[in-house]
Amino acid sequence: MMTKGSRILVLVAALALGLVYVLPVWRISLEAPQYPEGLGMVIQIDDIVGEKPHDLNNINNLNHYIGMKRIVPESIPELVFMPMILGGLILLGVAAAVLGRRWFLYGWIALFVAVSVVGLADFWKWEYDYGHNLDQETAAIQIPGMSYQPPLIGSRQILNFTAHSWPGSGGWIAILAAMLGVGVAAYEFRRGRSGKEGIAPAEKAPSRAPPAQGSAPMAVVGLLAAAFAMSACGEPEPRALAYGSESCAHCHMGLADESHGAELLLRTGKAYPFDSVECLVGYLIQNDADPAIHSLWVTDFSDPGTLIRATEAHYLQSAVLDSPMGLGLTAFARPEDRDGAVNAFGGTAMNWEEVRTWVETQWPEGVSAHGVSHRRAERDSHATAES
Amino acid sequence: MKRPINRAYTLLAVGLTAVTVGLFACQGGNGSAVGAGDMASAAQAVYVAPGEYDEFYAFMSGGFSGQLTVMGLPSGRLLKQVPVFSQFPENGWGYSEETKAMLETSHGFVPWDDAHHPELSMTDGVPDGRWIFINGNNTPRVARIDLSTFETTEILEIPNSAGNHGSPFITPDSRYLVASTRFSVPIPNRDMSIEEYKGNFKGTLSFVRADTPKEMEIAFQILMPGYDYDLAHAGKGPSDGWMFFTSYNTEEEHTLLEVTASRRDKDFVAAVNYRRAEECIASGAGTETPADYRHNYFNDDHIAVSERVNSVLVIEPSDCSDLVYFLPTPKSPHGVDVDPSGEYIVAGGKLATVIPVHSFSKMLAAIEAEDYEDVVEGIPVIRYESVIAGEVANAGLGPLHTEFDGRGYAYTTAFITSEIVKWEIGTWQVVDRIPVYYSVGHLMIPGGDSREPEGKYLVALNKITKDRYLPTGPELAHSAQLIDISGDRMRLLLDFPTQGEPHYAQGIPAEKVMNNQVQFYSLEENTHPRAAKSPAETRVVREGNEVHVYMIASRSHFTPDNIEGVRIGDEVFFHVTNVEQDWDVPHGFATMGANTAELLIMPGETRTLTWVPQEPGIYPFYCTDFCSALHQEMQGYLRVSPRNANVPLRWGIGGEWQTQQ
Repeated sequence: MMTKGSRILVLVAALALGLVYVLPVWRISLEAPQYPEGLGMVIQIDDIVGEKPHDLNNINNLNHYIGMKRIVPESIPELVFMPMILGGLILLGVAAAVLGRRWFLYGWIALFVAVSVVGLADFWKWEYDYGHNLDQETAAIQIPGMSYQPPLIGSRQILNFTAHSWPGSGGWIAILAAMLGVGVAAYEFRRGRSGKEGIAPAEKAPSRAPPAQGSAPMAVVGLLAAAFAMSACGEPEPRALAYGSESCAHCHMGLADESHGAELLLRTGKAYPFDSVECLVGYLIQNDADPAIHSLWVTDFSDPGTLIRATEAHYLQSAVLDSPMGLGLTAFARPEDRDGAVNAFGGTAMNWEEVRTWVETQWPEGVSAHGVSHRRAERDSHATAES
Repeated sequence: MKRPINRAYTLLAVGLTAVTVGLFACQGGNGSAVGAGDMASAAQAVYVAPGEYDEFYAFMSGGFSGQLTVMGLPSGRLLKQVPVFSQFPENGWGYSEETKAMLETSHGFVPWDDAHHPELSMTDGVPDGRWIFINGNNTPRVARIDLSTFETTEILEIPNSAGNHGSPFITPDSRYLVASTRFSVPIPNRDMSIEEYKGNFKGTLSFVRADTPKEMEIAFQILMPGYDYDLAHAGKGPSDGWMFFTSYNTEEEHTLLEVTASRRDKDFVAAVNYRRAEECIASGAGTETPADYRHNYFNDDHIAVSERVNSVLVIEPSDCSDLVYFLPTPKSPHGVDVDPSGEYIVAGGKLATVIPVHSFSKMLAAIEAEDYEDVVEGIPVIRYESVIAGEVANAGLGPLHTEFDGRGYAYTTAFITSEIVKWEIGTWQVVDRIPVYYSVGHLMIPGGDSREPEGKYLVALNKITKDRYLPTGPELAHSAQLIDISGDRMRLLLDFPTQGEPHYAQGIPAEKVMNNQVQFYSLEENTHPRAAKSPAETRVVREGNEVHVYMIASRSHFTPDNIEGVRIGDEVFFHVTNVEQDWDVPHGFATMGANTAELLIMPGETRTLTWVPQEPGIYPFYCTDFCSALHQEMQGYLRVSPRNANVPLRWGIGGEWQTQQ
């Protein structure tokens, strides 16, 4: 028999699935410059609707230029039988909790995971079909080799649109319910193997071990849930700079020094990489008043590879601690690290506004008076010559 | 004992709460990280201090307003709306007796049009500031606006045309402007089945003599295959003497063009050697063909007259060898633009993934070598590979129009990706790109289509506005954006709203226009037959049931301001002469119940308002343009009596009544 706690958790997981009837399962949103308010569609368990009332129609209208089939919810059979399958899962989950039999729980969770996997595969198949089977007769825009399949999960640039595909709140609840079910099943499996079956709760050894073991999956579930919650937001996030393979959007030189670097993030999620703080500011000097900008990021010198908000970073301007484009600007997440660097290398502590002013005085037009030549460029050319 | 489990449940609860908060409270701020310093520098770049002048005049087409808008750059300030093809109640354009004839066509009085492309007159390939021309797209017309008065002075209807879109692009010497038909139609137009389009519907490319005011005329029309002719630009330098037109729908389809006319990989740029046309005509080619169209212009009395023209000279490519060549050009090209050197011809294939650039010298060489891939209705099609100079890759989606900065760079609008892409002539490499808000159509660099561009500013003329300004209901002003192109990188400076829908625009250094302005019309030279130039000449004259009021407007009264003896059944003509001789002292005139607009009369000018009174009574009239401290006193009365009344006709001012002799 399952413990009372396990049965309650299974019951919670099964009943939580009921929310999937009313909350969106998945969201596909499209971003393009001329759609500042965004366009999106919401996949519900039994329907596909626009994020806003006419979005689905507008998406279909745009898609006709590339010959994509109209998305007609009435023609998708899954929207009819998925609600029934969901109902079955809920009933079986409730039954598992009521009966308290492990084998029933294992069967239920296996079925749940299988349905999820098949469902996602089916969703991908639909996406593939819409994205690839284009009407060559009527498509005004035809780009050889181009497909328009949105990602199953994540973001992808499709022509002028960035498509984002993520679970909706109903989808997340289903994922959490599955994780909860798997966690409880794992706990019950271990419990069964350690021979605790049949011992009445009152006779349980006064050991803290079993409950402590039991707490582990639940704690993991909780922490994972928290992590999902944090990543589920639609706000654009900076991406890691690809040192060694991408080049600076301002000076066009390769990114090499991992303790320096910066990123400009557009509202669309598009990121521009920079090899240094000074290049980021130089770019801003030349491209000011651009309302498409979402946020600015710089590399934390104390933790290379970590991007921190440029406006909140603490800076050192130093003649000794060089930076890639030669203005000696280094960013730190923590003020104490920066102050330590001031002591170690000498120089001036600055905030973001002071950094901007400094770069503007050094590079009035946003670029070095000597063009792009600087110390690292010379080093790079040496390296090339030597190799 | 149970504490660890409790801790686990607590963690789970925290996690699930976090999920809930995350899912339902996820709306983060969308703040812009741009600093105040950059805004200040952009603001400084466009700030024109009070009392100072803008550096450039910008002339924006009004699109569906049918008018022309004059703005200043870099400020984006609105300076004037010039009425062209649409009635304009604000000043009586198309309502007053002196201007009605300007809107006459072979279809009768047409009080509206769709004006797309302003084009400055040129001398030696450089805008000279004498006139600006603009096309009427819907009922094919071209208009001349005199830039000393900012008034439309001449409109010529284009026969054998439908949808005058590729117009009025001008030659470097302003000798010709062109008008190409966007819709092919039966020529001459007649009743026939639409399904018999192929072979029966034709296009025309009209060359209009433009260099003499009041004498615009169609020099000749070239009869072309039944494609849609879209835009044009003249050659210059080595390519002077040639005109280039884009075409689409070379499929010759007549329905669902968005699909049917997008099938072919390449349509054509038509290269026309118009000097060759002159030679052919001189040696007898071409047929004088019956037609019916109007030529409207201000006569020497500054009154619009509408003359009927009954024929047009039509020439077919088969009658004149070497007149037209087709250059294959990818995917329904829209704009065609010739670089300042005259060597490169850039065409924006609406659905193409590259920008093709044709070479004029390669074109001549291919013609010399007869390097043709086909001949269509007697027109040789030059092999694409033989005429192409290069293709610009990664130039954005939906390339439409290109202008030049005179420093070796070209700027192309990409409608679908909503950006302007800067690329280098010769290397065909993209060197910079900037997003625009939203969906840019044309762009304009002052002189950017001429031999000498002023490569300082670029104006993006955007089709979609959405959230750029305070919202104003469903309809929003079209947005223009000013971009600094003086440096290596483009820099967005300013958004400004426009009137109607600007398609193309033109820009010119202010000094080329501002120094030859008419400040007022000379009263002495006013030859209007109904003008009253002095109080002694004011009078009211009955001519049957027409009553003509010869009236003067001066600060701050009308002479006469009391009129009696008008009867129901009469038609009253107020001929109002503004006798002021000072800058910026127009007078307005309006009377109660007139089924027309006001008059706005410039100093020295005579304008006529027609009014048919419907009911007996006293009718006030007054000045509508605040002219002086006693503007509000500038008013008068007209008495209307029943049809059979015996009230004698008399008029006066200050209690002095006069009667008809």
